[in-house]
Amino acid sequence: MALRELKVCLLGETGVGKSSIVWRFVEDSFDPNINPTIGASFMTKTVQYQSELHKFLIWDTAGQERFRALAPMYYRGSAAAIIVYDITKEESFQTLKNWVKELRQHGPPNIVVAIAGNKCDLSDAREVSEKDAKDYADSIHAIFVETSAKNATNINEVFREISECRIPVLEASGATSGRGFQLGRQASESRRTCC
Amino acid sequence: MALQPGPEELGEQVVEEPEDMEDQDASSISPAEEITLPVGQGGEDESEPLLLPWDRFSAWLHCICVVGFDLELGQAVEVIYPHHSKLSEKEKTSICYLSFPDSNSGCLGDTQFCFRFRQGSNRKSSLGCFLETADRDAPVSLKRDQGHYYGYVYFRQVRDKSLKRGYFQKSLVLISRLPYVTFFHSLLKILAPEYFDKLEPCLEAACNDIDRWPTPHPGRVLSLPIMGVVIKVRIPTCYDKPGTSQLVQSTQTDSQVSIVLPTIHEVDLFRCFHPVFFHIQMLWELVLLGEPLVVMAPSPAESSDTVLALISCLSPLRYCSDFRPYFTIHDSEFKEYTTRTQAPPSVILGVTNPFFAKTLQHWPHIVRIGDMKQEGEMAKQMKVRKLKNLKTLDCKTGVYSAFKPFLNKDEDILKQLQKGVQQKRPSAAQNAILRRYFLELTQSFIIPLERYVASLMPLQKSITPWKSPPQLRPFLQDEFMKTLEKAGPQLTSRLKGDWIGLYRQFLRCPNFDGWFRNRKREMSQKLDALHLEALCEEDLQLRTLEHTEVEKVDLVLKLKDKLTQAEKNHLPVRPGTVSKLQAHIEAIILGLPEDLQGILHRPSTP
Repeated sequence: MALRELKVCLLGETGVGKSSIVWRFVEDSFDPNINPTIGASFMTKTVQYQSELHKFLIWDTAGQERFRALAPMYYRGSAAAIIVYDITKEESFQTLKNWVKELRQHGPPNIVVAIAGNKCDLSDAREVSEKDAKDYADSIHAIFVETSAKNATNINEVFREISECRIPVLEASGATSGRGFQLGRQASESRRTCC
Repeated sequence: MALQPGPEELGEQVVEEPEDMEDQDASSISPAEEITLPVGQGGEDESEPLLLPWDRFSAWLHCICVVGFDLELGQAVEVIYPHHSKLSEKEKTSICYLSFPDSNSGCLGDTQFCFRFRQGSNRKSSLGCFLETADRDAPVSLKRDQGHYYGYVYFRQVRDKSLKRGYFQKSLVLISRLPYVTFFHSLLKILAPEYFDKLEPCLEAACNDIDRWPTPHPGRVLSLPIMGVVIKVRIPTCYDKPGTSQLVQSTQTDSQVSIVLPTIHEVDLFRCFHPVFFHIQMLWELVLLGEPLVVMAPSPAESSDTVLALISCLSPLRYCSDFRPYFTIHDSEFKEYTTRTQAPPSVILGVTNPFFAKTLQHWPHIVRIGDMKQEGEMAKQMKVRKLKNLKTLDCKTGVYSAFKPFLNKDEDILKQLQKGVQQKRPSAAQNAILRRYFLELTQSFIIPLERYVASLMPLQKSITPWKSPPQLRPFLQDEFMKTLEKAGPQLTSRLKGDWIGLYRQFLRCPNFDGWFRNRKREMSQKLDALHLEALCEEDLQLRTLEHTEVEKVDLVLKLKDKLTQAEKNHLPVRPGTVSKLQAHIEAIILGLPEDLQGILHRPSTP
């Protein structure tokens, strides 16, 4: 079975739950008192998608402003970026739009963008409507899901959708070998890309 | 669904371990061949001790320094990261001077080099014992340097009109005990440009990454995430077959995602020796014999590369004297090493300051490297130059020495490499040829010594459980020389010459001393281990039946002591030996009166 490494970075304002999403995905656990990330933390998880193994190399970046300038190191060469906002904080959704702009200007040309509206378990305090976010995501051809790292809602789904986007059409239809596919070089063959 | 793929399913030859840091014992497969490490008792390999914040960082690096130029102070350490790292004032001064090229060398742009300096005070790491375990399986030349630190430097010098000095000059320096030259240079290549651009948050992020790395354990393929990429390395073990420790990768990956480093320590021998190509064999003899040697080069990059190449051409033998890839007049050992009141010391120095041409004029062997960019330099340097010709700064590239090599020149290797140059053979291939050549030469030289020293081991039958382990026989030079007639280097090398003379001088030099001491320690441990195994095979209970209580207690105490020693020194005993002996002790104790049992069961006082 072919193994493919997929570099994925998480971007978004501080406190929206980037690390929690990664912990839920990799360790299937949740800690409400997680420490702020320094620089970025790195984790991996290998999952099977159709006839391939996808090894996610996940760079969970710090949301704090002082690490802002480091972001290019993490989205450089990334197959996908998960941009996270907090559905209970309108401002974090605005920050997300800035990230999209930056990726469009400086990110890899065919990076898959996934937008995750986290903390959907707190819908009482919602400030960003699902429809607005979905419309925005559609306008930039991004994957969109509302997630809850706390309740394990849609976490695996985000990564599965990324896997789906990174399978070139040719291979998904039966070809076996993953060799020769280079990340960031085949925008047109992915089913859904952005930017 | 999470999967751990089996090795056969991977496209790469590198088999990875789970990044889960608590689970580093998962089977790793050496790319060359699967190596079974001798298993110590108690399964100490299975668990890493509980590590505190910064412990993992300290296993790799002592600290990271930023050295800049202050108009009033001169060179100064601007930042030390992590902030709690300790460096004495003397060490800081050394780092300051060694992190910048000497004034005369231009070095515009980015330059990488390395230096080595003596550790100031006797500093003890809380990780000491734990790192020793990790170090045990490393080849001798890759063990942690106990009395020295290495400094790996990335120096940037660019014109900047906004600065008073007109130039931006700064070095990012990694301070470590680990001699992983290639690895740290690769790490700096990733880290330093980002640092110059983004400053301290970048260091903070990098240190944080490093503090989550698995410890540098030989034999495992390590995935080391740093600043958005994953570096994959394998630290060789002393059980690797020489020349097979390289990590290979079969699939091309994106260097912004992951990088596979084929080696952590090997320098490009061919590139380094290129300017003095015709003298490689003589240089090998000089290094082997621990002769005082100075490399004069136009820049620290060239001096450090050449010194490291000289050291590594002895591999797998360890160069035991001091060596300084880059040495300056400010060095704390400057006086000690350059004094004329004593004969030059057995050291290798790399220098760039022209002042040394005068200071070290009395040194017997000088390697002069000109500007490496000058092409066509190689062909002309056939002759060894006379020392008296080395007076001025603009001396030509070459080896200046009155040394008469013991062995005849090997024309074949020179022809082979020259042909490679003509045919534009890739540098990596030339390097591999040269490395194999040195390896074979060193092995031909060392095998007769290994064989003789092995014969100093007492016969297995002389090991009896009721006597202390027998002693090694002494090393007798004449006896050894006699073995050379039949089992000398002529068995493995076609080189002719005065091998006897070469051995005679080698036996007097620090490299022999270091090698022999190491062998002796290994063999004594082997003897102790065999003795312990012999004890285990005895029916101790039966033996003790007729003995008095006092004698039994005495025996229990002695055996316990042996066990402690075995564990402490990691004696290479067969698996199960220790538990078997423990059972014996237990059985003897149970045969004693209850009050004594209580005392003997108590954990021994430290």
